[in-house]
This record gives sequence, C-alpha cells and structure tokens, in this order.
Amino acid sequence: MNSFINVAVKYRALLLGGAKITLIVSAFTILFGLIFGILMALMKMSKIRPFRYFANVYVEFIRGTPVLVQIFLVYYGLPMMGVEIPSLMLGDVDISRLLSGILALVINSTAYNCEIVRAGIQSVNHGQTEGALALGLSPVRTMTAIIFPQAMKNILPSLGNEFITIIKTSSQISVIGIADLMYTADTIRGISFKPMEPLVIVAIIYFIITECISFILRRIEKRMKVY
Amino acid sequence: MAETEVILTIRNLTKNYNTLSVLKKIDLDVRKGEVIAIIGPSGSGKSTFLRCINAMEQVSGGSIEFHGTQIVKQKNLQQIRAEIGMVFQHFNLFPHMTVLKNITYAPMKIRKTPREEAEKSAMELLRKVGLEDKSGVYPDTLSGGQQQRVAIARALAMKPEILLFDEPTSALDPEMVGEVLNVMKKLATTGMTMLVVTHEMGFAREVADKVAFMDEGRIMEYGSPKQVFEETENERVKAFLRKML
Repeated sequence: MNSFINVAVKYRALLLGGAKITLIVSAFTILFGLIFGILMALMKMSKIRPFRYFANVYVEFIRGTPVLVQIFLVYYGLPMMGVEIPSLMLGDVDISRLLSGILALVINSTAYNCEIVRAGIQSVNHGQTEGALALGLSPVRTMTAIIFPQAMKNILPSLGNEFITIIKTSSQISVIGIADLMYTADTIRGISFKPMEPLVIVAIIYFIITECISFILRRIEKRMKVY
Repeated sequence: MAETEVILTIRNLTKNYNTLSVLKKIDLDVRKGEVIAIIGPSGSGKSTFLRCINAMEQVSGGSIEFHGTQIVKQKNLQQIRAEIGMVFQHFNLFPHMTVLKNITYAPMKIRKTPREEAEKSAMELLRKVGLEDKSGVYPDTLSGGQQQRVAIARALAMKPEILLFDEPTSALDPEMVGEVLNVMKKLATTGMTMLVVTHEMGFAREVADKVAFMDEGRIMEYGSPKQVFEETENERVKAFLRKML
C-alpha cells in the first residue's frame, strides 16, 4: 500500500499532466464526435442517396476496423495524403500529435454516435413529425424543436455509454506518443522499474473520471424525466 | 344552407402506391362553413384522401386548390398547412411540452403571436373544450378523450380556415367518444369548415351538412345526410349502412 502512495506522490506531476491530456483529448472527442455524429445521422436519414451511401459505408468501415488501426492510419496517413499538421509545441505538449490523436478518435466516435442518434430519432413516433408539419412548422423546426428533444431522452443513456467508452479508448492514442494517462503509466514504469503501481494508480484515475461522467449523465437523465 | 364561397376545390385526385391505386379520380368542392363527413368501409381511401389535402400524402395526379392556390410540394406548403388544421386519430400531441405550450407553440413561432396573447387565446380554447384546469400538465397525464380535445384546441389556435379530422374518435375508449364528438358538434355550430373522416354514423347524420360515402378509392355517393342515409339507391351504400347502424 505504502509503495502505491509513494509512487503516486513522487510522480504526481507526471500523473496530473497525463490526466490533463486524457481529459483534453476526451473532451474534444466527445464534443466533435457528437457534432459530426449528429450530422452523419442526418446524412444517413437523408433523402439524397449519395449522402446515405457515404454515411452507410463510413459507419460500417469504422465499426468494422480496430480503433488502433484507425489511429495509426490517421497518424501516418495524413502526412502521406499531403495533410501536414505543423509541428507545434505548447509547453511540453506536442500539438500535432495531439491533433491527429483527437482526429482519429473523433472519426471513430462519429460512427458510433451516428448510429445512436439515428436510432434515437427514428424511435420517435412518426405521428410527431406529422403533427408538427400539419401545424405549418418547417421541417427544420420540426426536427430541432419537436423530434430532437424527444429523441434526446432515448439517446442520452447510450450516448453516456459512448462518452465513457471514449475516455477509455483514448488510452490507445498513447501508441503515437501522446503523453496521456496510459503513456504516463508506461513512463513511470520505465523510471521506477515498478510495473504494478503506476498501472493501478492510472486505473483508479480513469475510474474516477468515468464515474464523474456517469454521475453527471445520471443527473441529466433524471432532469429529462419530467414528462 | 346558402351557397357560400368554395374554398377547396379537388379535381381528378388520384393516389397510387406503386401499382396499387388507392384514390381514383376524386372530385369535391368544399364551401366555407360546410361540415362534410366522409364515411365508408375500411381501406376505401378515406384517410388517404384527407391526408392528401394538407399534403401529408403526396398525390399522384389531379389537383387540390385552396383559395385558387395549388397545394403541392413547394414553398407555399407551410403557409397552406397553417391554414388547414388537422386532428389525428392518435392526437400527436407533443409529450415534451405542457398542454399550454402544445397550443401556443405554433401560433408563437409561425404567426409570431406575442406570448401573452397566445396564452390568453389558448386558455380561451381550453375553456371551450372544457380543460382550462389542465393547461400546466403534460399530455401523458391526460386521458385519450382529454388529449384529443387538447389536439382540437391546438389545431384551432392557428385559426385555420378548414379543420381536417382523421378518425378523431377511433383510438378512444368508448366512454370518451362522446366528449370529443360534443366538442366537434359545438365547433360545427360556430361555422367552422370541417372535413371529418369518421365511423360515427350518428355524428355524420346529425351534424354534417354533406356526407361523402367512399368505397374503393371513389366517392360513390355524395349529398345531404338525408340523401345518403335514407334515399340512396346505391347497393354498396345500403349494405354498408346496414352493417353500421
């Protein structure tokens, strides 16, 4: 027990730095993954066939390949495709690596969010759309004011799951040298020659983060149960 | 009834689902203040016909003119839908809005009615349908009959010129049919133009000015309730009425 506390105290700066990176990566992935997930869901339900095809292929491909492969594909693939993220250091954080890590995770999470949002929207009774359109509401307002708020109730629990998955999955971007929590555990193991301690500490930190998210989402779900 | 202005003109209306022809050349004139009951066996195309009028269904051919303007999928569709109210079999109230907001939402967003005014007239409508004490609750806490009365109030809040009723009492428990029909009867006496698809023969007979009997996608018989219910020579109408009455 003592040895755990010793490691935690001794390397607290490293651990906090790693936790910060994990939180930043997760926050951006959750935010943009959600935005693009909603857009992708709209494409998948679109009347325009190419949009539907694109969304279908995208979702199937991303869901059918390992996230680790996707991370490497983005990391090595982008420069090869001529997309050069300028090498930029902010303090001791390598922004270009961070960006390609976040991008890979966003690409991944978009596919899952797309399915969650689509299922949620389609679970709303079609009568709601007709009721709104019959009153003279525009299709856009029907979607945003009538359908989406109701879909949210169905979407939120699955979305919460996805957010937690993102936080855990973000540990995989350590393979491209992003100094997140997982990377920190490796680093500490290398310095201290203790494999167990940093891993257990990092696991606890991951758990605390995901529990916080769960707690917040449970509160939001409760508030949405008014009707 | 004195001949009033024709506000809805339907000519040669057809509707196909792939190769299945649901509506076959329907003609109908709707005059201001008329209450027209559309009756007929299930699958005769009554609801489809009604739903074509506010473009809930896309028509396959023919024309529907509202005050001389074609109703088609185009820019005027939203404006026309605002003038043509619809009451659905399953109410379709918005469950995430209170009764009051259900009624005020469309007038505030589309007519740009100020909130105070919208809420005042909503309360008035709720009084008319006997639910003024329910303004603050969510629809799910109401009975079917109450929900349908709210739905009527919601449609009326847009001050439509015509109100379409798509089997408004078919999804209700028998003991609640009466309260909804009463609201509709009261509405009919105010000069509201109403098209009512219904299986309530009593309503068609007592309240409607005109009755349209539909079968196999056509209007087979059209006239006053007396003409359709008592004087018809059409065997199909007779057979249907024998079963219903």
